This record gives sequence, C-alpha cells and structure tokens, in this order.
Amino acid sequence: MNVWAFSTWLVPYIGALLALLLRKLGKVRDVIAVLALAVSAFSSIPLLMEVLSSPERVVHESFPWIPSLTVNVGVYVDPLAGWMALIVAWLSFLIGVYSFKYMEHDPGLTRYWFFFDFFVGSMLLLVLADNLLLMFLGWEGTGLASYSLIGHWFTDEDEKCVGDIGRKALGVPMWFTPSHSGLRALVFTRLGDVGFILGIGTLYYFTGTLSIPAIAEHVGEWAAPLAKSGLLFPFLLAFSLGAFAKSAQFPFHEWLVTAMTGPTSVSALIHAATMVKAGVYFLLRFSPIFMLAAHEVEAAAPQVHAFFATVALIGGFTAFFMATQALVARELKLILAFSTASQLGYMFLALGSAGLIHEFPLGFLAGFSHLMSHAIFKASLFLAAGAMIHAVESKYVDDMGGLSKYMKWTFLSMAIAVLSLSGVPPLMGFWSKDTIIEVAKESGMLLPYLFGVVTAALTAFYSLRMLIKAFLFEESENVRHLVEHHHLHEAPGLMLIPYLSLALASLLIGVVWPVIGPGLLESMVNHVLGIEEAFHPEIHLDPALLATSLTMVAIGMGTAWYLYMTRSGLQVVTSIQENKVLKSLQDFLYDRWYINSIYYLVIVNGFLAVSRLGYKYFDTLIIDGFYHRFIPWITERASTLGFAKFETPIIDETYHNRIVKLFLKVGSAVRKLQTGKINHYLLIFILGLVLILIYLVWV
Amino acid sequence: MILPIPVLFLSVVIPMVISLALPFVKDKKTAAYISILLLAIPFAVVVALSAMTMLREPIADPVFFSDPSLGKFSMLLDSLSAPLAISIGLVTTMVAWYSVPYMEHRFQEMEEEKTNPPGWGVYYMLYIMFSTAMMGTVLSTNLIEFYLFLEVSLLPSFLLIAFYGYGKRERIALLYLIWTHVGALAFLVGSLALGLTVGTFDYYDPVNLKPLLGLGDLLPTAMRLSVAVAILIGLFVKMAVFGVHIWLPYAHAEAPTPVSALLSPNLIGIAGYALIRIAYVLFPEQFSSLAPYMLGLGLLTIIYGGLMALAQDDFKRLLAYSSVSQMGYLLVGISTVTALGMAGALLHYTAHAVGKALLFTTAGVLIAELHGLRSISKMGGLAPKMPITAALALIGFMHITGIPPSLGLWSEVLILTGVANAAVKLNAFFPILILLLIGIGLSTAYSFVTMKRMFYGPESEAAKHAKEARSSLLMPMVIIAAVGLILFLVPQLLIEPMMSTLKALLAG
Repeated sequence: MNVWAFSTWLVPYIGALLALLLRKLGKVRDVIAVLALAVSAFSSIPLLMEVLSSPERVVHESFPWIPSLTVNVGVYVDPLAGWMALIVAWLSFLIGVYSFKYMEHDPGLTRYWFFFDFFVGSMLLLVLADNLLLMFLGWEGTGLASYSLIGHWFTDEDEKCVGDIGRKALGVPMWFTPSHSGLRALVFTRLGDVGFILGIGTLYYFTGTLSIPAIAEHVGEWAAPLAKSGLLFPFLLAFSLGAFAKSAQFPFHEWLVTAMTGPTSVSALIHAATMVKAGVYFLLRFSPIFMLAAHEVEAAAPQVHAFFATVALIGGFTAFFMATQALVARELKLILAFSTASQLGYMFLALGSAGLIHEFPLGFLAGFSHLMSHAIFKASLFLAAGAMIHAVESKYVDDMGGLSKYMKWTFLSMAIAVLSLSGVPPLMGFWSKDTIIEVAKESGMLLPYLFGVVTAALTAFYSLRMLIKAFLFEESENVRHLVEHHHLHEAPGLMLIPYLSLALASLLIGVVWPVIGPGLLESMVNHVLGIEEAFHPEIHLDPALLATSLTMVAIGMGTAWYLYMTRSGLQVVTSIQENKVLKSLQDFLYDRWYINSIYYLVIVNGFLAVSRLGYKYFDTLIIDGFYHRFIPWITERASTLGFAKFETPIIDETYHNRIVKLFLKVGSAVRKLQTGKINHYLLIFILGLVLILIYLVWV
Repeated sequence: MILPIPVLFLSVVIPMVISLALPFVKDKKTAAYISILLLAIPFAVVVALSAMTMLREPIADPVFFSDPSLGKFSMLLDSLSAPLAISIGLVTTMVAWYSVPYMEHRFQEMEEEKTNPPGWGVYYMLYIMFSTAMMGTVLSTNLIEFYLFLEVSLLPSFLLIAFYGYGKRERIALLYLIWTHVGALAFLVGSLALGLTVGTFDYYDPVNLKPLLGLGDLLPTAMRLSVAVAILIGLFVKMAVFGVHIWLPYAHAEAPTPVSALLSPNLIGIAGYALIRIAYVLFPEQFSSLAPYMLGLGLLTIIYGGLMALAQDDFKRLLAYSSVSQMGYLLVGISTVTALGMAGALLHYTAHAVGKALLFTTAGVLIAELHGLRSISKMGGLAPKMPITAALALIGFMHITGIPPSLGLWSEVLILTGVANAAVKLNAFFPILILLLIGIGLSTAYSFVTMKRMFYGPESEAAKHAKEARSSLLMPMVIIAAVGLILFLVPQLLIEPMMSTLKALLAG
C-alpha cells in the first residue's frame, strides 16, 4: 500500500474523530487536530515526488469496496492530483495553525475542529479518488463541512451577520445570519450535485464502471451513443453542474457571497483556497477526457465545443459580474468574496477556452496555474483580513483606515497579495492571469475575452481601493478610538506567520517564474490523465497582450489612487453620492444586481406560495376534502335521501303498502266475481272458452 | 438454505403469543423489559442468519403450512427482505426502549386530561403484535400469508392510535383503519383473482428457493393487466403515493410518537418492497410497461410531499409529509426496473428507517421534555441547550437527504444511477433532470430549513427553559444513529447480495 497517498487523505479524518473523542481536553484536542493536518501536509510531498519520479507519472492503487458498483477505496494520483493535493494539504495546515490562535476561546471548538479536519479529509479524498463515487463522497463531505462551518455561530447574533442590518433591496432583506447562510450554501450546491450524480449514473450505464481512468480509456463507449442521440451536450452540462455550483459560477454565485458568515479562517480555507476550487479541479480532471471524446468520436466534437464555449462564456461573465460588485462593497470579507468568485470565473474562462484553442494544454495550464496562485494569495488576503477585523472590531473597511501605522507586517503582507491579485508583474498573479487572457483571446470568442480584459481593470481597482481604505486612508473614528485605548496592535505571530509566508511565496514564485516556470508547468501537465501528447510550455509575453493587460491594471489602479488618495478624487466620490443616476448604479451593484432579491421574490417566494396555497387549497380543500368531507357527505346524503325518497316512499311503500293494497284490491275484485250465482259462473266459463277457441283458431 | 425448523416463523410468532400475557403484568418496568427482550428475538435471529450466510443465498423456513388451493406458507430471509427485516428489528427494539420514558410522559399527560387509557401491559402487547406482524409480512412467501400478517399489523396499530394518540384520536384511528383496508382490499381482490385462477397464492417457491417469476401469465390475457393494477393500487394506497396519501399525515402525526416512529419508516415502506417482491415477480411484463407512468408518479410524489412538508408548522406533520415524499424516492427507484434502482429503493428503506426513526424520536424528545412542544415556529435556538438532540436530528435529516457520512448517500446514489439508466432509455434526460432538481432541492430545503428553525437562531421562549434530554430517551436514538453511520462505511454488505439477486431476477 502506498502509505503517503493514503495518509494524505485519511489522517485528517482520523484527526476529526480524535477531536471529537478528546473534546474534554481543550488545547490537547486542538493540537491533535492541527497535527493531523501536519501529517497530511508532510505526506503530500513524498507523494508528489513519487508521482513525478515514476515512469508513468502515476500512483494508482485501490481496494475494492462495493464491487458491484465498481466502487473502490482507491487513489489515482497523476501530476494534476499530486500538485493539487500538495496545495490543499499545505494551505490546510497553515490555516489550521492560524486557527489555533484565531479561534482560541471559541465555545464551539470541538465542532470547529471536527468539521475542519473532516473538510480537509474530504477535500483531499475528492482530489485523490480514483473513481467517481469516491470523488462524489469527498465532494459531498466538503459540502457538509462547509454548511456546518458557515453556520458555526448559529445563534445568529447581529455582529456575525453578513450585509447591512436593516438594508433591503426590492423589499428583500439583504443581511444574512450564519444559519441562513449555511442553509443557502447547502441548497445551492446540492442542486448542482443532482446533475453531477445523474451524470455519474449515465457514465456507469454506458461503461459499467466508475473508475476515472477507465472512463478516460473507454471514452468511445459513452461518448458515441450520447453524441448520436444529441444527448452529449446536455449530459456534459448536467455532469458539470456540480462544478458550476461548487465554484459559485453564475447563476449559483449567491451562496458564496453570504458564506462569509463563517469564521475568517474557514472563509480562507474553504471559501477561497480549496473547496470552491473543487469545481475548477473537476474541469481540470475531466476536460482532457472530454477533449478525448471530441477527438475519438466525430459526432461528439460539435457538442463538446458547445460545452466548452458555454463554460468560457459563463466563466467570463462571472469574472466580470462579480468584480463589479466588489467595486462598491464595504465589508472587507465581502470584497474578498466577490473577488474569489470573480477569479474562479477567470479559471472557468481559461478551461472553457482551452477546449476551443489549438493547444489544449496551454489553456489547461492557464487554469491550473491560476488556481494555484490564487489559492496562495487569496488565502493570505483572507487570513490578514481576519486579523484586521479582529483588531478593529468591525467588518467594514470604512471603520479602518491608517492601519499601516499599527499593523506594519499585515500591511506588507496585504500589499504583496493585493499586487498579486491585481496582476502586477512580476508577482505570481500576473503570470497566471496573463495566460488566461491570452487563451481567451485565442479562443476566438469575443465576449469572454472582453470580459477577461475589463475584469483586469476592475480587479486592480477594487484591490487597491481595499488596501487604501484599510491602511492608507485617514484614520476612522473607530480606529482613533481604539488607538486611544491602546487596543490596536499587530496580529500575534501564530496568525501573522501563515499569511505573511503565503504572501512572500506569491512574490518569490513570481520573481523566479521565468526560470522555474517552464519546468514546473511541464511537471503539472504532462502525463495528466487524458493529455496524451507531450507539451513543452514556455514563458513568453505577447507584447500586444502585455500592453493591453498592463494598461488595464494601470487604469484600475490609477483610478483607485485618484479617487481615494487625492483631494479632487474624494470630491468626485462625494458627488457620486449626490448624483441620482450614479447613486442608483451604486445601489444596483451594492445590492448585487438585485439577483438575490429576484431569487427570493421569484423562486423562494414562488415555491413557498405554491407550497402554502397548495397545502391550503389543494391538499386540504380538494384532496382531504374529497376523501374525508365529500365522500362521507355524499354517502350520508345518499343515505338520508335514499331513505327519505327511495327506501320509504318506494321500496317500503311498494312492499308493505302497494303490494298489500294490490293484493287487497285483487282480493276484493276476485271477491266481487264470487257472486255465488251459478249462471254468472257459467257465463264466465263460456266466455273464457270462446276466448280460448278464438286464440287457438287465430294462431 | 432451508432451515431444519421454522426458526423465522417461530421468532415472529413466539413473541406475539407471549405478548398476550403482558396485560397481566402490572409493573411497567417488567413489562418494558420483557417486551424489549421479546422484540430482540426476531431481530437477533434475522441478524444472525444474515451474518451466517452474508446473504449470499436465500434462507427459508421449512414449509410449515400447505394447502392444495392456498399454496405453501414459509418465511424467507434473502438479500431483498433482509434490509427491511433488519431495519424493523432495529427500530422496533430501540423504540420499545425509548417508549419507557416517553409513554411515562404520555400516561401522565392523559391522566391530566382525565382520560384513562389501558395501561402499560396493553401498550406493550399491542406494540409487540404490531412490530412482529410487520416482520412477518416482510418475511412471507405467499399472498395469503402476507395479507394475514398485514392485517395483524393493522389492528394493533389502529388500537395504539385510538388509545394513546393525540388530537381526535378515535376519528383518526378509524380513518387509518378504513384507508389501509381500502388498500388491503384492492390487494386482496387482485390476489384472489390470481390465486383462485392459477391455483396457488405463492409468489416465492420456498422449496426450490426461487421467485415464481411471471406467475401472472397463467391468467387469461384479458385479466392480467386489471389484476396487476388492482395489486398495484392496493400497494400505492399503503405507500401513500400522491393522490392517495391523505390518510398518512393524520395517522402519522397524531399517533403516539413511538408508534409514529414505527408507522412512518417501517410500515409504509413494506409496500415498496412488495412492489418488487410481489407485483414485479408476478407480473414482470405488465409492471415494465406501467413503469414509466410509475416513475412519473414517483417524481410527482417526491415533489408534492416536499412542497406540503414545507408548508407545515407542526413538526410531526412535517415529518409525515416528508414520509410521503420519501416514498416517492422508493417508487422512483423501483420504477426504473433496474437492479441499481431497485437495490437503491430497498436500501433507502433502511436509510429512511434510520433517518425517520431519529426524527420522530426527536419530535418525541421535544414533546416529552418541553411540555408537548410540536410547533416549529415556537422553537428556535435549541441547539446550544440540547446539542446531542440537535446532532441526532441533523444525522436524521442527513439520512433522508443523502448526505455523507450517512447510509442515505448510498441509497440516493443507487436510485439516481438507476434513474440515469431509465432517463437515457426513455430519452427523457432533460425533463427528468429538471424534476429531480426540484424534488431533491425541495427535500434539502425542507430538511435544513426545519433544522435551522428548530435548533439555530436566537433563543426562543421555549429554549430558555430547555435542557438536554434524559439519557433514557437519547440512548436508543444514539444506537440507531450509530447503525446508520456504520452502515455508511460497509454498505457493500447489503448492496452486493441485493445487486446479484436483483440482476438475476431482472434477467428472468
């Protein structure tokens, strides 16, 4: 048995169980939970080494679990899974260390650590699984952990909510309690999972296996019949529906925004660095296989293309659409959440474009490398944000300002991460984002490309705006108050070190990227399941494209600097508030394009209305009424009426009255005949005889 | 394997007979302990026999009654009946234990209302007859035998509702009795028409250990469909699918809570099992041709039950409607006429048994500990005060919505894999996907909305005085939950043998 592969995903589960068992032991429980994450992180290194050094570049090992369904407890670690596991395990460990300090004194720590470790185990399981159902198990496990951790503070105090308390848009409340947000996350993502599992079932129907490599190998078996019946496109969409929902792509994006009610460590790990990337990972895992289908089955190609075009379009739109909302957000974590969904949109754009361009691996790498770079700088941003919110005791950036003086290291860390997010060279974020825009351009689809370019400017704007408002702006009332009481200070080391080291990593990797990039990328793409031809990536910069993207970054950053750092700019900001049109545009963005409101007004209220009206008028009135009111009533009426109108006047009357009377009448008539006179009898006798004779003669 | 003596039959009948003496036991504790022990007998027998063979082959009693016109009476434990028998054994035994504190509360409450129901002995006698009769129904191999045990299960459950129920209990008990008899009657008419024509009422041959597949083909062609439909309608009424579901919310909501915990998951699901074991086996052709309509009916039931559940404020009534919806999942799985879907449906019987038993007992905990609290709008913020109850309820909801690590995940996966087969075959991939999105979306919504309304949020008036429930209420629930979680890890013990039996059955 490959110890490293199994310990990578199994030990966090064991850690979760231990956290539950050691719940009475306080700090010991916390240490054990973090240690389990450390074991996992340190196991992921030799695992990756083993994968990259093996001739086939794969570690594949499995033990049967449910043979009739071909479900194995097994790992399939190719370079994609190996790298992904490394990233997930290390981020989990670092954020675990941060949590150790950040969550100190929380009353629900047993629950926190249980679900934290349970999440890490599930996430790694979904990355390493060698068959679809095991992957689905991990997938669902992350959903459960996410639900529980978003609602960690389920007593729903006002200060734990997301959104401005009391604010409504189109009459729909725009603030969300932790328990409400957890519910939203679960319902939204489970909708996608229905498609995922139906897709798994379809694959199983055609191939009789759930093993992921086998599905890649027998690609014709499922792609050909599906393509012929025109079902391939709907199938691909359904199969990937879980990925769209998990990665918060439009129209499933809403859950991620409100997921920010969870502890910030959770937002960093689950809702920025790892779980929301599961959808991207899904596409990284399966889009090479979809490409194989397009190559091997002629009829499949147009449908596969249509699928990739859809992914690119949705990704591009999500990138743009979520970035616009980040422009006006006032809550630090919300800015980051919008940004996360927007960046996930970039990754979808990359993978969608990958399927449309000549060199698929180029798009694949664009998505994959952006996944990694984003995981690193976004985790850093969130962790720093957690420290800042903790320090200023407010979630609003307007309650910050001037923090650069009091939290120098946090400022440094945040500044690096912001530059990386904005795509400023030579940071890591620059390299990965630039490749995405390059492949989007190559895809030949204008709209997604434009979304990608414009979003670059928006990203630079909102990132710098956030940095300025928190650190460089004039000190807010709140900050001044805290300073007076000596409450404002730098984060403790256990919290600072994780995010500072992540920010520095983002910087350093970026600086040496031209040197290490090609080799690193090569190790990430070659021999990935479904990618058969060797690919030799190189770091090159297309001057026209570089100029475009740098111009965008400059526009974004310049605007932010002008608006928030110069006197005339600040006047412009004020005047926006006074201009009706601009103010309503701002509200439109602030209230998330009213999409949340529309969901509630149409879908939630729609179902509630159908449910209530259906219960009142259909179930109670018609169904219940029919069986338990109408049928008894009609029976009773029939019985009363029958008794009054039929039984008594007809039946009873006939038998006991009419017939009796008839007999009496007949009797009396007969009696009349019986006159006792012989000649009468004779007359009748003769008459009768005549009648009989006539009858006989006649006949 | 044919057993040397009718162990299964005896394990069902002996507790039933002994229970007749329970009314003479005056001490409630003694009555309770005897009852738990009696119920443990069939449970232990079923588990032991299943473990011995790993369900790789059918196990049957020797024929203990046979008649030239009725056929052979035997009892059968195979991979199809085992999930049901084990669930019934588990839930009835644990809930008998749970009944001790719960009925204590109920008796007190009824005393305050100045009603004097029959005492502990009668309660446990009826409880045991009800429980063992369900076990007998599931293990039967003959239509008359099946019908007799079903009847025996109906009468005690009727009396349990009439004696110890809530609300207008006499009326509701009567309603329950009439409805289930309407169903039973349709089933009986179909059975008689079949049995009297073909000369046997067997649906399983207990001597050669084979289902009598296609027995209905011995009927004249013109009769086949109508006989099959009569049997199906009878089972649909028992299962409470959309249209004939309306008796269920009354009965399951107003029954004494331990009885609800038996009625809801255990009793109604038996009809789903009978759809495979009886309806499909006797009329495979007719069944397959009706299956697409049944699939539609199942999807409708899932959605409709979910919608109605969402409108409820009474927790027990919500659970009752949820059971309607859950029966939709069983029907959908079975109507795919695939080994996957059918195995999923039978496994879902077990998952639902665990989940719904946990949820009804949760309702019972709140009733017993918080002065008859049933209205969801009066709950809220209970989790900090009752963390274990909240965790158990969450595990219950996870079972009925198929979230790991609960057994419900596997049943959902199997059912949906079966549905994917049917959807591709029927060329209705897209409409079925949409209906499933709505149905599963609704199930998730009503489950977790309820979880939130009951346990999360600010402290309600009721939560102010709440504290964690007595361990005598919680222990049986913890065991039920543990079984569900453990079965999640070893589902293959049930799935493997089921799949091979069903594949053989469907192959003819």
